[in-house]
Amino acid sequence: MKAVILAAGEGARMGPFTASVPKVMIPVGNRPLLESVVQALVENGIRDLILVVGYRRERIQSHFQDGKAFHARIVYVTQPKQLGTAHAVSEARPHLDGSFLVLNGSNLIDGRFVEDLLAADEKPAVLITQSDRPRAYGVVTVEGKNLVAITEKPTEVISNLINTGAYVLDERIFEEINQLAKAGKHDLPSAVSALAQRTPVLALRTEGTWVDALYPWDLLRLNATALKGADEVRAGTIEPSVTIRGRVSIGDGCVIRSGAYLQGPLSLGPGCEIGPNAVLLPSTSLGKNVRIGAHTSVANSILMDDVILGPASVVQDGVLGSGVVARAGLLAASGSGDVQIDGEWHAVPQVGALIGEDVEIGNGVSVAPGTVINERARVESGARLRGLIPSGSVVL
Amino acid sequence: MCGIVGYAGHRNALPILLDSLKRLEYRGYDSAGVAIVGSGLQVEKDKGFIANLEAHLPAMTGTTGFAHTRWATHGPPSKVNAHPHVDCTGKIALAHNGIIENYASLREKLEARGHKFVSQTDTESLVHLIESYYEGDLEEATRRALNDAHGSYAIMVIHADEPGKVVGARNESPLVVGVGADENFLASDVPALLRYTDRVLYVMDKEMVVITPKGVTIHDLDGKLVSREPQRITWSLEDAEKGGFDHFMLKEIHEAPKAIHETLLGRLANLELDGFHANGITTVKLVACGTSYHAALLGKYVFEEIARIPASAELASEYRYSQSPSERPLVILLSQSGETADTLGAAREARRRGCRTLAITNVLGSSLAREVDQTIYTRAGIEIGVAATKTFVAQLVALYLIALKMGQDRGTLGYDELDRLKDELRSLPRAAQYVLNKAEEIRALARKYGDVRDIFYIGRHTNYPVALEGALKLKEISYIHAEAYAAGELKHGPLALVTSATPVIAVAVQGPTYDKMRSNMGEVAARGAPILAIGTEGDKELPKFVDDVFWVPDIPWILSPVPVSVALQLFAYEVARMHDCPIDKPRNLAKSVTVE
Repeated sequence: MKAVILAAGEGARMGPFTASVPKVMIPVGNRPLLESVVQALVENGIRDLILVVGYRRERIQSHFQDGKAFHARIVYVTQPKQLGTAHAVSEARPHLDGSFLVLNGSNLIDGRFVEDLLAADEKPAVLITQSDRPRAYGVVTVEGKNLVAITEKPTEVISNLINTGAYVLDERIFEEINQLAKAGKHDLPSAVSALAQRTPVLALRTEGTWVDALYPWDLLRLNATALKGADEVRAGTIEPSVTIRGRVSIGDGCVIRSGAYLQGPLSLGPGCEIGPNAVLLPSTSLGKNVRIGAHTSVANSILMDDVILGPASVVQDGVLGSGVVARAGLLAASGSGDVQIDGEWHAVPQVGALIGEDVEIGNGVSVAPGTVINERARVESGARLRGLIPSGSVVL
Repeated sequence: MCGIVGYAGHRNALPILLDSLKRLEYRGYDSAGVAIVGSGLQVEKDKGFIANLEAHLPAMTGTTGFAHTRWATHGPPSKVNAHPHVDCTGKIALAHNGIIENYASLREKLEARGHKFVSQTDTESLVHLIESYYEGDLEEATRRALNDAHGSYAIMVIHADEPGKVVGARNESPLVVGVGADENFLASDVPALLRYTDRVLYVMDKEMVVITPKGVTIHDLDGKLVSREPQRITWSLEDAEKGGFDHFMLKEIHEAPKAIHETLLGRLANLELDGFHANGITTVKLVACGTSYHAALLGKYVFEEIARIPASAELASEYRYSQSPSERPLVILLSQSGETADTLGAAREARRRGCRTLAITNVLGSSLAREVDQTIYTRAGIEIGVAATKTFVAQLVALYLIALKMGQDRGTLGYDELDRLKDELRSLPRAAQYVLNKAEEIRALARKYGDVRDIFYIGRHTNYPVALEGALKLKEISYIHAEAYAAGELKHGPLALVTSATPVIAVAVQGPTYDKMRSNMGEVAARGAPILAIGTEGDKELPKFVDDVFWVPDIPWILSPVPVSVALQLFAYEVARMHDCPIDKPRNLAKSVTVE
């Protein structure tokens, strides 16, 4: 059986972190979200994958290539305009016959999740799970084993069972998609609801991992989940008197200087340099070639590729995009903050700094909890930041 | 420059040979041919691509054979000059990659003894020579023939009376053995084998190999047995597929950030460069061909600037014939494939002159790596597109690293300066990515500037080699006449060629030469030439006196060649695509040039 993975969307609610990568390529646990989906499928013997790509598709294609490195065969289908998930699936139609799986590329899932979906035995099905914030999702109503309907973001409480966006479908779905398209609707849940009116669609509960990230601060939760299950690698050069506790993965070519204290779960990508007496606390991921200065402390954060964090800095509950450079004494501690993303304000109880790619920060800058610094901004020494810093701006 | 593959096993040879041969098409595609021993010797060949041959092939059965894809050096591409070549008896077939230098005298002697030649190739003399020595043992006859022949070769030979056996030999042209189960393979390059096996043996210069379904034996040209263990290849064929990109070249340009990362990984913190140290070095000479030469030329500027060490760059094909001066520089040889014949020759010459040699190459176990004292690998991954892209960028990164190491070892760089430069190198993958994110913008510029007959590139100092490379990329794949000049040289002649019909691409990033570039662009603008400038983001002046600007990120000027190169590669690609050129296989060119 083949699987269609939806990976065309930008993910505007991810703020600066999708400025140059699609949402599915955001790293958690030191690998792109999409990799967890590909791996979960391959573990279950589903190796023929159709990736529907669009926004910044080159980033996906250069990473996954033809799939052999992931033990899969990948073909790419381009969805030039992201009209909707139903439209995305129809773009893949020429590559499909019989029943097939559809999955969202931007959720963190495991093999068990796919196994539960495969229990449908090639009959139409939707995979559902319990959620503590059902109103953000498509809530499902079920009768016996079968789906009745999927209601997107309901205003009233229907149930706490939600659609994970994973389906088993076959040719019949395309009739529904075409019908809805005439009415200007292009989302897959509506098409599946319509299909459920004609033919039984199983509603299967999953016990597997399914974590969704809507906003950047959700990434920290995904990162912690991913690190729990990550493989442990120990490479690189570890100087004397380094303390390492818990599950700590250290990539090729890393150098950990004396006195550093590493408390897992942690994942250090290849080529990282951890300065003397630096402290890394759970659950933190560092991408490739990250440099952490002496006496700097990082806790529960994601630092993407090529981040440079100068000496005597503090980063807690933060997400730092690729190429962020902060000189000495950055203070970006955690706390409750109001975060502005995609034009909306959110009160987040525990969050640090959210810093987009290639932001440059001078010495002694302090960043209030929940501050969003958009990509390529430049912050001069001594600044105190809060709120939203626009991309490319210069803060004196 | 040709590609050969051979097979001896239990399966029908033809489909395996054709499939493997296609993986070598990057090595040449003027003509192709195949020889198989089944019930007698069967030989088919034709000019053009492998697909062309395949379309006209009759059924050929047999479990032993070889196939060849040719890039003409002696005699034009034609059916008769295509390999395999066959002896007078029609029993021996041979394919050859390289050049037999004394072929004329061999041919004369053989013709005097009554051998009939049908082609203009140097190769045909070898097959007749083997015929003349043949007394029932193909290996022995080949050995005796090779002892008479001078030149470079990788050959494969089969005989109708010795089914199940392919004899191969190598001197200065690549040849690898693939070890399978009840089948064995020979090929010019590893990608041809990867679908069938990941265990390979490298054949060395002046060695012969015999493969049969059951075994592989290697002897030297004196007949002495050589014992060698197979190595496992860890990369796989996936690297050779396009992964959703229209061309390998585009895929590989988009792999620049990854290639930079891989080349830097684990080398920055302690400047650990595969064991290289710069103690005792007083001068440096960088030697290479083609694109690698442009990297070498940049290396000269970078070494002088960062490490304060006198450096010069020279073409490999020229270096060998210059007189040996008394000084003994460190000679750095650059070749993506590590098989470039001119560069290999230069390496041998440098050693003969008593110089310490250092190679920069992308291919583990390549001939160049075996020819020098020390090797620093670019880790760009396999490159299939004939026009080098990501490997060029990786070469630049390796050169920066070497410059830092020299600066450190020679004490010309202070600790803080070194630290700052290292941090700046970390920004390079991002700088390349920034350019790639603006691919659409480059496509629009290619449409605007690419529909011309002639185009000029200008740059100064570190961006002069970048201009040369930009022009070379455009020539290679779009067939547009492109020339690059050090901008200060324009007024000494080339300015006469500049008119409103010749766009000028000016690399005008911020740096010590920026003001001079501005006056050079003024000279060009005065002749009415449209100017596309590559500028540093934030430069408010530049747009005022050029027609268009493509912005690269504001990084230290010494590193600007990296993002600028990526931009010019994409520009060449988009121009070639607009003109519908065969981007991955440009006419008359081959990936690695293993002839001199």
